[in-house]
Amino acid sequence: MIEIKNLHKSFGNLEVIKGIDLKVESGEVVCIIGPSGSGKSTVLRCINKLEEPTTGTIIVDGHDIMASSTNINEVRAEAGMVFQQFNLFPHMTILENVTLGPIKVRKMSKSDADELGLRLLDKVGLKNKARNYPEQLSGGQKQRVAIARSLALQPKVILFDEPTSALDPELVGEVLEVMQKLAKEGMTMIVVTHEMGFAKEVADRLIFIDEGIIQEEGDPVEVFANPKNPRLKDFLGKVVSHI
Amino acid sequence: MAFAFDTSVFWDTFPMLMRGLKLTIEITIGGLFFGFILGSAAGLMKLSRNFFTRKIAGVYVEAIRGTPMLVQAMFLYYGVPMALGMRIPPMTAGIIIIAVNSGAYIAEIVRGAVQSIHKGQFEAGRSIGLTNAQTMRFIIWPQALKRMIPPLGNQFIISLKDTSLLMVIGVGELMRTGQEITSVNFRAFEVYLAVACVYLVMTLSIAFVMRRIEKKLNTSRR
Repeated sequence: MIEIKNLHKSFGNLEVIKGIDLKVESGEVVCIIGPSGSGKSTVLRCINKLEEPTTGTIIVDGHDIMASSTNINEVRAEAGMVFQQFNLFPHMTILENVTLGPIKVRKMSKSDADELGLRLLDKVGLKNKARNYPEQLSGGQKQRVAIARSLALQPKVILFDEPTSALDPELVGEVLEVMQKLAKEGMTMIVVTHEMGFAKEVADRLIFIDEGIIQEEGDPVEVFANPKNPRLKDFLGKVVSHI
Repeated sequence: MAFAFDTSVFWDTFPMLMRGLKLTIEITIGGLFFGFILGSAAGLMKLSRNFFTRKIAGVYVEAIRGTPMLVQAMFLYYGVPMALGMRIPPMTAGIIIIAVNSGAYIAEIVRGAVQSIHKGQFEAGRSIGLTNAQTMRFIIWPQALKRMIPPLGNQFIISLKDTSLLMVIGVGELMRTGQEITSVNFRAFEVYLAVACVYLVMTLSIAFVMRRIEKKLNTSRR
């Protein structure tokens, strides 16, 4: 589904990603954890080319996104993204937020798109908010709308960039619940997160990134119970001590 | 002879002033219409990734902003025809001047408003597969437009007043009409007071309309 080979990314003189290889199979849920500034979000943003990789190869659903012949807009429609700050469109209703992609990118008729949009809003429990505007929603509701918006393009994979980090603690659960539902339905997901409980329970594979490289990866239950990499041990120690 | 304020001058000159006002309004609307198109294009060009596109817009803005409109008007009306070998009708010249002049300022308004939209909006648009142009049109532009309203209102008022400078190229707008009247009746006090009042009514109307638009957009969510 997604294949990353020897990915490097520098911002000016600062090398953030120092050679990452990652393969994600269809239907797999991969959680990426790591300290802030480790480059985990950058990896995610390279997959749909919101960041331009410096060198390396990224294949998404058979398309080499580095090739100039690849239409990046088509690839982006296949790789939905959910942002930390939601990034809903404030001038559109909730339903319009969800249907914009289907109408403009998938060339769906408005009535078909509305039907799809309402079905997806129902799925994330927000059908009754369809006619509201984003500013009338709580953070958790906004993020659920953002998930519906990315689902509306019927993507092959969804990239989650710290989807719960901007939420008040009591709103985290409702978002994770929706994500868990998606995972159960077989959606391919790559999730950059600080929610260790979610990673442990939902992920098929856990990846620990620090200093721009993958330091450790494996089955989440196994990795949490028995971390080998000293950096990961240190990181988990800091995270767990807060619980 | 003592000065005596003569209100009858108002009523006598009113029809002529209204004819001048008609031209003022036509030039303002025409000039701002094209000025907005020109300014939007130049403003977006200033945000281009292409160096030359940016520079072209930059030179336009700096050249217009950095020279007096009076000079621009004289240059276009008297200077350019010498080079082209053809005259430009005063009205056309007036509309071009207002368009080109306001366009330079509107370019900066547009650039600022677009830049003020959070980068995440752009990324969200791109992430659902919209092209650059679609993202601009459906997501960035509508939000930026709302932020442009207050500074645009300001520019509209400035441009309306600037049309008075067009009297130097023989456009029979409001100011020129006033001047022509005084050259006949010598009632400069009453006539220019009346002219000033008409401008004031017009600028207050623009301010009122822009405030209404702003309010309407605010109540229908950001």
